[in-house]
Amino acid sequence: MTNKTYHNINDFLNDDSFKNWALDTKLSDVFFWNYWLENNPDKKELVKEAKDIIVGLQFKETLVSEEKINVEWNIFEANLLEKKKVPQKNTFNKNKWIGIVASIVLFISIGIYSLNNSSITHTTGFGEILNLKLLDGSLVTLNANSTISFSKENPRKISLKGEAYFQVDKKKATNAKFWVLTNDLKVEVYGTIFNVNSRKEKTQVFLEEGNIWLSLKNGSSKKMLPGDFVSFSAKQNKILEDHTKVFVEEKTSWKNGRLTFNNSTLINALKKVTETYGYEVVFKNTEIKSILISGTVPTTNLNICIKAIEKSANVLIKKENTKLVVYKK
Amino acid sequence: MKKLSDEILWKSLKEGDLKAFGALFKNYYSSLFNYGLKISGNKTITEDSLQDFFMYIYEHRENLSDLESIAPYLFTSYRRFIIKILQKKQKTKMIRDIDENIVDINFTPEEFLTHQESVTFRNKNLTTLLNKLPKRQREVLYLKYNCSLKTQEISDVMGINYQSVVNNIHKAIKGLREEIKILQLFNS
Repeated sequence: MTNKTYHNINDFLNDDSFKNWALDTKLSDVFFWNYWLENNPDKKELVKEAKDIIVGLQFKETLVSEEKINVEWNIFEANLLEKKKVPQKNTFNKNKWIGIVASIVLFISIGIYSLNNSSITHTTGFGEILNLKLLDGSLVTLNANSTISFSKENPRKISLKGEAYFQVDKKKATNAKFWVLTNDLKVEVYGTIFNVNSRKEKTQVFLEEGNIWLSLKNGSSKKMLPGDFVSFSAKQNKILEDHTKVFVEEKTSWKNGRLTFNNSTLINALKKVTETYGYEVVFKNTEIKSILISGTVPTTNLNICIKAIEKSANVLIKKENTKLVVYKK
Repeated sequence: MKKLSDEILWKSLKEGDLKAFGALFKNYYSSLFNYGLKISGNKTITEDSLQDFFMYIYEHRENLSDLESIAPYLFTSYRRFIIKILQKKQKTKMIRDIDENIVDINFTPEEFLTHQESVTFRNKNLTTLLNKLPKRQREVLYLKYNCSLKTQEISDVMGINYQSVVNNIHKAIKGLREEIKILQLFNS
């Protein structure tokens, strides 16, 4: 710092000891520059201006409070622990947490809302299957894109939209009945195992065990025996299908996370896929609609499901936004 | 003094000492936050990016080379880190354009210390004058005067060569002085 020459303002600004003098931070530099100024009076103006720039450009030390930094450090430590526990990925960012908290709040509010109305509703989205135990001990498996609801006063009277598989507990002491209501019909049982599918303006009922009565919307009633399959549409006011000894797996395998096809046409199989995943199916070639396929596909993994059907039917299926487009190979 | 403790911190950090890392975190959080806020203009993005950045440093601590002073290294990697995040967001059009080579820093009057002695600058004027400077000159001034980085360190952080930093400082100061002279003419 002693032998340098100082011609212009930048010479001063780039000098650390000059900065120390201007900011009064280092005693030896302060002494030096005071001495230097006495001997270089011609530079007085320049020095004054340089000092002004240094002093004027001083920023406040910190804008982030100590508490805030501590909060951030705690978040960091928590994230670090989380990572050590689950060393794979699990990077929770704030937005995800907000999402989780929001959904919990939503759940609670739905719960409160339901309580106020003294009715309980369970809904599944596409690609989701829900196993439920009802208040009376009956077991319900709710298929994708379906809703069941019932009032607390009468938990054995269930309204259904979509598809569900019921394992109804027998109430021997009271002989209490169990009902499932859809837009098309009412299923009346004591205790049994059956499947109800009320999609596409019709209701299909498949009975696996025991016996049940159907009260159809047109006023007539029908008794079903194990293995029976009945499909009724209130809109068309007629029984669409009535089979006995139906292949069980095909009607109820969805509850185990699988769709089973047994010599079903590609178009029917893909209708099931639409019900389960919510993707609309478009056929590029009409002749492939009637290809027969047999086999099992998952209900909770669309990609595997598509691949399995592609292989089985020997076609190409492409995902385009909300559509599945089927091509001839 | 600070350099020495930095060096010790860095070594302990490399050995995985979480306490040392905490000290480092607390030492540099404020200045990195301010720098990130200057670049991104968004508080949440800056906070999130810093969390991720420190996590990155911690996880890669074994690969870090020995350093005498940490500040330039942290500024350099954090600048790169947040710009990458911003560029990703830019694709979803949530954020204004960010060019890696030209960070756009703006100043506000509140962040300057009010000094009675400084006759040439009144804070309000200074902010206006600074914001009139080209982007690169603004960042150089910010790193030099707010983050107290040396010329070589600024050149590392910004990824431009030494001479270019010097030139930018000179131009910035020259620009400021000219503006001040015009202002003084009007005021007198």
